[in-house]
Amino acid sequence: MTHLSMDALVSLREPGLEPGDVAAREHLEGCAECQAELERLHQRVARLKALPALRPARDRWPEVRARAIAERRARRMRWAGLAGLTAAASLALAVGLAPQGAHPSGLAGQEIQQAMVRSQALESALHRYDPESHVQDGRTARIAQELEDRIAQVDRELEMADLMEQQSRESEVLRLWRERVGLLDALVDVHVTRASNAGL
Amino acid sequence: MTRTLVLDSYLLADADGVVARARTGDPAALEALYRAFEVPVYNLARRICRTTEDAEDVLQETFFEVCRSIGRYREEGSLWGWVRTIATSKALMRLRRNKYRETEELHDEVTGRRREDTHLRMDLEAALERLSETSRAVVWLHDVEGYTHDEIAAMMGKTPSFSKSQLARAHARLRGWLGEEVQT
Repeated sequence: MTHLSMDALVSLREPGLEPGDVAAREHLEGCAECQAELERLHQRVARLKALPALRPARDRWPEVRARAIAERRARRMRWAGLAGLTAAASLALAVGLAPQGAHPSGLAGQEIQQAMVRSQALESALHRYDPESHVQDGRTARIAQELEDRIAQVDRELEMADLMEQQSRESEVLRLWRERVGLLDALVDVHVTRASNAGL
Repeated sequence: MTRTLVLDSYLLADADGVVARARTGDPAALEALYRAFEVPVYNLARRICRTTEDAEDVLQETFFEVCRSIGRYREEGSLWGWVRTIATSKALMRLRRNKYRETEELHDEVTGRRREDTHLRMDLEAALERLSETSRAVVWLHDVEGYTHDEIAAMMGKTPSFSKSQLARAHARLRGWLGEEVQT
């Protein structure tokens, strides 16, 4: 007597009918040995599902977090650079092509550009300092993290501000760029000044 | 309710609120996601990868991707289902990259042992570990995680028939190694 192969037994557990399943089921009904084999298969799968969960030997969250922050910083630098170029181009258009006084936004535009330039300078200072390569005490790391998170929040709001109407957009963008410069100033202060005070 | 949806609420209280905060980049929410799914992701990775180091790397890569892509999670399926798909993809990618040796076949060749003659009475953990990486991945993804052969085939870049034959082959081997008696 030819018994069911493992392929046939495994196939019988699947939903739907595969070619050969009808004949396999007919055989199964009259064959105690194949019934026992199918039962073994069911029990093996149940035991696989019941295996205890394996746990990592060490906490990997600090690495994930550090990498996510580094990527966020790189993205921010790219984005700030791009935004600076765009703003400079818009400003050149406003100043060079529009009639004098026709753009009430001219002054705001200049202030935005100044804030962007300052922001880029601070980003460059941070990049040169490379905080990840320096040892930080817990309090400094926490404050720096909070500032990083707030800067990321400002960046998201800046992206959203792009969708606003022209007039309200300028005042909102100026406010956000000023806030960004303030936060970056604080971040540079936390990293560079404190480290130099501590002799690191 | 599917198994993965049940797991969401079991692993993470207020999943919707945590996801909403994680989308804004809230580090506490991102860490909450990590803490909730750390063990199931590692377990899945460890069952597929050969070494603990590889499984830990998959864990790290999975959550880095979660942090980066949480804004794209659309809540159409369960959160665990989404995280699990990322983890499975990372683990299979590592499997392909490392091109592990098919140790099961090699061992049998070296010892000259035929499958039918093996009466090692291994425990299930050891037997699972002894399967080739591909077979073990298919067994785990199909029998434990509940993926269909079509889904496994798509993730592995193979055909459903490949997945089915790997599963049958793996069970034939496990059956031989475990020497099982039917529990009544």
